[in-house]
Amino acid sequence: MKRMPHVMKLRVLLGLLGLLAWPAVAQAEAQVRPFVSGSLAAIRTAHAGQPFILSLWSIDCSHCPKELAALGALKKAHPRLRLVLVATDNGVPPTALAEYVAQHGLEAAEQWVFAGEQDERLRHEIDPRWWGELPRTYFFDAAQRMEGVSGLVPLQRLQQWATAAGR
Amino acid sequence: MIFKRGLSAALAAAVLSLALTAAGAAGVESPATAPAARKSPAASQERMKAWQAILAKPSLAVAVAFDEGGRLWRVANRDGYLLASHSDDLGRSFSEPRRINPEPEAILGDGENRPKLVVSRGVLHVSWTRGLSGPMTGDIRYSQSRDAGRSFSVPLTINDDRDIISHRFDALVADERGRVALAWLDKRDLQAAQQAARPYRGAAVYVAESHDGGQSFAANRKLADHSCECCRIGLASDVDGVPVALWRHVFVDAAGQPIRDFALARFDVAGQAITRASEDGWQLNGCPHHGADLAIDAAGRRHLVWFTGAAGKAGLWYRHGDGSAWQAPMPFGEAGRQPARATVRTLASRVVVAWQEFDGQNLYLRVMQSSDRGEHWTAPATQASTTQAADYPQLLVGRGQIWLAWHTAAEGLRLFALTPAPTP
Repeated sequence: MKRMPHVMKLRVLLGLLGLLAWPAVAQAEAQVRPFVSGSLAAIRTAHAGQPFILSLWSIDCSHCPKELAALGALKKAHPRLRLVLVATDNGVPPTALAEYVAQHGLEAAEQWVFAGEQDERLRHEIDPRWWGELPRTYFFDAAQRMEGVSGLVPLQRLQQWATAAGR
Repeated sequence: MIFKRGLSAALAAAVLSLALTAAGAAGVESPATAPAARKSPAASQERMKAWQAILAKPSLAVAVAFDEGGRLWRVANRDGYLLASHSDDLGRSFSEPRRINPEPEAILGDGENRPKLVVSRGVLHVSWTRGLSGPMTGDIRYSQSRDAGRSFSVPLTINDDRDIISHRFDALVADERGRVALAWLDKRDLQAAQQAARPYRGAAVYVAESHDGGQSFAANRKLADHSCECCRIGLASDVDGVPVALWRHVFVDAAGQPIRDFALARFDVAGQAITRASEDGWQLNGCPHHGADLAIDAAGRRHLVWFTGAAGKAGLWYRHGDGSAWQAPMPFGEAGRQPARATVRTLASRVVVAWQEFDGQNLYLRVMQSSDRGEHWTAPATQASTTQAADYPQLLVGRGQIWLAWHTAAEGLRLFALTPAPTP
């Protein structure tokens, strides 16, 4: 290796980096599922009998980073917390979303992004009484009754819910 | 499916990001500011990438207006260009589109932030928000045509603060006296507060005015601090020509909680003495993305339509006001059908309100009318429906009539003449 030209070293390095990065990219893509008609039902089925939080957010929402940070801290304090993130950014590449979400310590959260259908249809399917304001958080209890909260959720409420859900 | 969309969106984003980088550095027309001096708050690479993908999304938004000769003008947004065309057969066929901006720009056309078109004294006035490199950032852009759309002026950046922050949600008005005005939501004060580690609620409403038909603009002025960050602004000319703005504001209640209700002010209001326009009490620490519209009739009556999500009163509301005398707000629209995107226009003593509703399957275009300046109203009627995505409903005045335009993905642009309806 000592006598290898710089260009070759660089190529080897780039190749190695590419190999390392590929699984992360592939994982990020697989990680963020398209949220379409029927997806909420699929989420409910997957979490049947367990309380979980479903949080709707967007890149184009100035308050959402604070909510993601709060959820990241919550997840750290309650590692078994079931958290489902749904980005309303229909058409945004999932890798960009996954990488951004990971910055808030939420890479382990289940992730979805609005896809395909028009947003009104998807919103209506989630909750006809949600007007599209963000962030929007749904608390699902073990019996899957859902309670919606608009805007940033007070930290105390998040903590209390996570503690109760963990029992 | 998502991979393919992601790939094509990524390609579009890559192309646009090159344009954005160039635009970010060079989008300055005023000789006073050096092109390279634009400050940009730190934003993660991932967030910037996601923002650029949002900017690259195709837009359904169109802006339509009649000129004084009865010709219909349309401005649409495609592949980084605003395109102007006209129709002499009420929208059945349009002329070959002409580019308004000479270089490609990321033009916001999704939801509350969309290009604007006003035609006055034969001059076509166009405004839009150009997305910049950072997430939720933008510049306010303006161009005009004085030769019936054959050519457009080199676009001006209207905001004189040139940091790469949010100057977005442009609203535009132009009257027969040569007065042109823009209002927008501006985050320069928020940025200054953040840099000084001071709290600051929301954004600010800034305005820029021209008295020579849009050929030159006076310096930006702040109309009000603490507006909501991303709802469209309603803008109309008062009877004396002074523009009046209606926007979602961030009031504060006794407990210090943000209340996102509406505020109104004439551009000549002294010392931010804004008027509280709605008392919904919508407490929200978040983004409604849902603004209001304003029309002012020939006698100076203000007609307001807005959306609130306040508990117990969620939905659309109308009220009118004369001076400081405000009518009690009147709800309209089916609360269970996600009523949204209301717009209002007047013509003599007629007032028309249009909005959309959604029943889970189809979107509906809904209308109600008044013939007595908003005192009495017809029952809402459905003007049209669509099974796919729709742009915002737009009301236009032209050829002595009020018209309703609706651009939908499935049907294209439809234009409806609204004949006066007798009110009970």
